[in-house]
Amino acid sequence: MTQGLTTRWTLIQRVFFLLLIAAAGPAAAQLKGDPERGATQAKTCVACHGRTGRGPMSGVPALSGQQSEFITIQLILIREGLRDIPDMTGMLKDFKDQDLADIGAFFSRMEPFSPRGSRDDARFSAGAELSKIMGCGSCHMKDYVGQRQVPRITNQREEYLAKTLTAYRDNKRSGVDTSMNAVMYKTTDADIAALAHYLAHQK
Amino acid sequence: MSTPLSHLIARSLMPALVVGAFALPAPIALAQQANATPPSPAEIERRKSMGGYLPERMQNPNLTSNPPRLTVTPLENIPVDKIQVPPGFKVEVWAHGIPGARMMARAANGAVFVGTRTIGRVYVVYEKDGKRTSKIVAQKLNQPNGVLMLNGSLYIAAINRVFRYDNIEANLENIPEPLEMTKDFNLPPDAHHNWKFLAYGPDKKIYFQVGSPCNLCEINPGVHGQIRRYNIDGTGMEIVARGVRNSVGFDFHPKTGELWFTDNGRDWAGEVGFEEELNRVPADKIGGHFGFPYCHANGQPDPDIKVPNPCANVILPVTTLGAHAAALGMRFYTGKMYPAEYQGAVLLARHGSWNKTERNGYDVLRVNATPDGKDAKITPFVTGFMDKASNTYWGRPTDVMQLPDGSMLISDEEQGAIYRVSYGK
Repeated sequence: MTQGLTTRWTLIQRVFFLLLIAAAGPAAAQLKGDPERGATQAKTCVACHGRTGRGPMSGVPALSGQQSEFITIQLILIREGLRDIPDMTGMLKDFKDQDLADIGAFFSRMEPFSPRGSRDDARFSAGAELSKIMGCGSCHMKDYVGQRQVPRITNQREEYLAKTLTAYRDNKRSGVDTSMNAVMYKTTDADIAALAHYLAHQK
Repeated sequence: MSTPLSHLIARSLMPALVVGAFALPAPIALAQQANATPPSPAEIERRKSMGGYLPERMQNPNLTSNPPRLTVTPLENIPVDKIQVPPGFKVEVWAHGIPGARMMARAANGAVFVGTRTIGRVYVVYEKDGKRTSKIVAQKLNQPNGVLMLNGSLYIAAINRVFRYDNIEANLENIPEPLEMTKDFNLPPDAHHNWKFLAYGPDKKIYFQVGSPCNLCEINPGVHGQIRRYNIDGTGMEIVARGVRNSVGFDFHPKTGELWFTDNGRDWAGEVGFEEELNRVPADKIGGHFGFPYCHANGQPDPDIKVPNPCANVILPVTTLGAHAAALGMRFYTGKMYPAEYQGAVLLARHGSWNKTERNGYDVLRVNATPDGKDAKITPFVTGFMDKASNTYWGRPTDVMQLPDGSMLISDEEQGAIYRVSYGK
């Protein structure tokens, strides 16, 4: 009884959300990427990120299934020297905005990464509670797949999620705006570990 | 983790009757049970005080911040003909091709320096071989929003870093290494709400804001939520205003010399609250409190962080400026070009909303008020950046600045452009 009611409501709400998003429409046109061109442009990327966008290297983020607009903006920030990734220094200097949009489109089409490792139920539940209070799913969407400039935060390496959240808390990274610095303000290491574990273990 | 295991187990056994508005279907596995269980009140209170708290009733993917545009918009793609001004006024594109253009400062011979946020650059727009052109002055900075021209020197503020470029206008073809003054000003490193706005007061002091590092949280009043002033070498810091959440614009009244500033109300509190503010710091209330985080807008208590008498001794605004509209750069108009009703009025840019389903702002307003901040009257000045029917925008007015001839420049962060608004012939 309760279950049926809840399910029905959820369905109605989902439809309502879709309508809302459709009504709001895109704010202003961003560069559109071409995944075919992106396959060529991404030749240097795949050495570390893998041909599937989910390479085996620890600490290197999975890019497969990531939001193309997010990838493009981050690549611009890296090219401009605003996101300091030592292994990528200078690598993008000859890439035009359109090239970066193409790379974004290329990786965004790939099958998302599935993190390995067993789940710790207590840590997972603590992360779920935090995510609910902090509202991660509000911008990153309920299933954490992201939207536009807001990244997918599931299907990602747990250690990379933890590293990124720590960088936001410690003002080592700002992203497209500083909203993640605000969200992570004063968050503890234990909170970050729980959030990363929870997000990495979504089904 | 601070949540005891017994507590987790207790909650996992609770029936999923109390589901939030946007909860998932009733749980089967433990994973989903964790999703459906309401968070513990203790955890909610802990998060409220530290920020990063988003009430479940507000969670909505349609209320996400607007993505910045970091790429050049070609001149022919800027829909300048959509900009609307009152009769007798004229708009032109004054500069373009400067992605993320925000705060402006003008040097004595006419070079205009332009700060940005996400793209980390400061530009200069200047005349070269009789033609207006632009170039990058500084880059790779974290949110270098603050620019100020003073005694021939360009000051740039990027969160807590401060740089000074002496004799800048004579060296535009070969930008010298700046003097870094970060240690002298000793600003906190928190990025959020701390992209700086800079101004030089009639008291010969440099004014900076240090905003709240969160949407809503308990702040250390000795550090955050302030407008400060310093001697130009970074000594003699004084707190001019307290309880200021996120100001990105201020100016000094042309008659009284008092500081007036815009301030942005908290987010995630609904479509209509809390409105942005235009504030005045009365000369006899230097260091006075403007309410954050306890009291918002025109004296409304915060619904999440509750204290007794939240609005006692709070200096209320000259006027509110609309919910989520993001009132940023402001200047008093002191030129001779515009009609009489503009003399001494505040012109201010509203960057436009993101935390609101029906968009608001995206324009430049005129506010007329008495020198002591009474009888405020708001009149739209420059509009057309937003289309109400489709709920979309194409431009985001960010700062306003008067030129010596009395015309005004308006920066547009979205198009990476600056418009000039003139009156008469």
